[in-house]
Amino acid sequence: MDELLLSKVRLGVVAELLNFDWVAFSELARALEVSNGNLGAHLIKLVDAGYVEEEKSFVNRRPQTRYRLTTRGRDAFAAHVSRLQALLKAAT
Amino acid sequence: MERIDAAQARDHIEMVDRILAESPPRLCSGGEYFVAWGIASAYLTVLFQLVDRGLVAASAVWSAPVVLGACVVFSIVRGRLTRRALARTSLVQREFFNVLWLTLGLAFIVDVAAFRIFPGIAGAAIWSVAEAIVLLYIGMHGNRRAQIAGILVVVSLIVANFAQLGITAYVLAAGMLAGYAGFGASELLARD
Repeated sequence: MDELLLSKVRLGVVAELLNFDWVAFSELARALEVSNGNLGAHLIKLVDAGYVEEEKSFVNRRPQTRYRLTTRGRDAFAAHVSRLQALLKAAT
Repeated sequence: MERIDAAQARDHIEMVDRILAESPPRLCSGGEYFVAWGIASAYLTVLFQLVDRGLVAASAVWSAPVVLGACVVFSIVRGRLTRRALARTSLVQREFFNVLWLTLGLAFIVDVAAFRIFPGIAGAAIWSVAEAIVLLYIGMHGNRRAQIAGILVVVSLIVANFAQLGITAYVLAAGMLAGYAGFGASELLARD
């Protein structure tokens, strides 16, 4: 199991990013229904692990931070979900 | 080391399935590009026809690079602003922008650098082909208006092929206006 993705929030972040090129921090927080502080802490771990890429910019003079999944993150997600499914299969 | 049991694994997989089911990527085509390029391509097609028939002074051809340049600058600036402003950019969206730029870019290069192979009306027809590809690509992602607009452009190509030489450019231009610019206008109206 990928220990980083054992967290439900981090797994949710990666799943949210799967079909998208870039997703803003506010969109992730809204979709996952978590507080900004909680999400920020999880995103730092994902960025540090190289699973997620971060981009900071200004939109209409307001700061915006966006995230996207890296190839490493995509591979880790696929492997982790496969292991989860294997665990479920073994348990039933 | 953290552990996970079968119940948690099921909970996690259900969450992943729910997220993937809830976030179908939507293709945002950006109507203003279509209006700008549709009008520009129709203008150039008609302009060259009018110059060719001697109805407009040859010096008017110099407006062509100005119009094309303005469209390119507008597309680049608008594209950057749109990309930054989007809270979510789907992979399908990125692929669409690649198709858009590749198709129109190639048509541009063919018109500018291969004008001996595609002289006169063939150069204008290349734009119609490029526009039809872009519209039908959007149509493939479920946009009914783009499907109709793409078919309109293709029909204008076929009709232009069988039309009298004197009106060929007007038929192509009509297709560009009704199909390409018309689709853009309909997208803008639908957005508002």
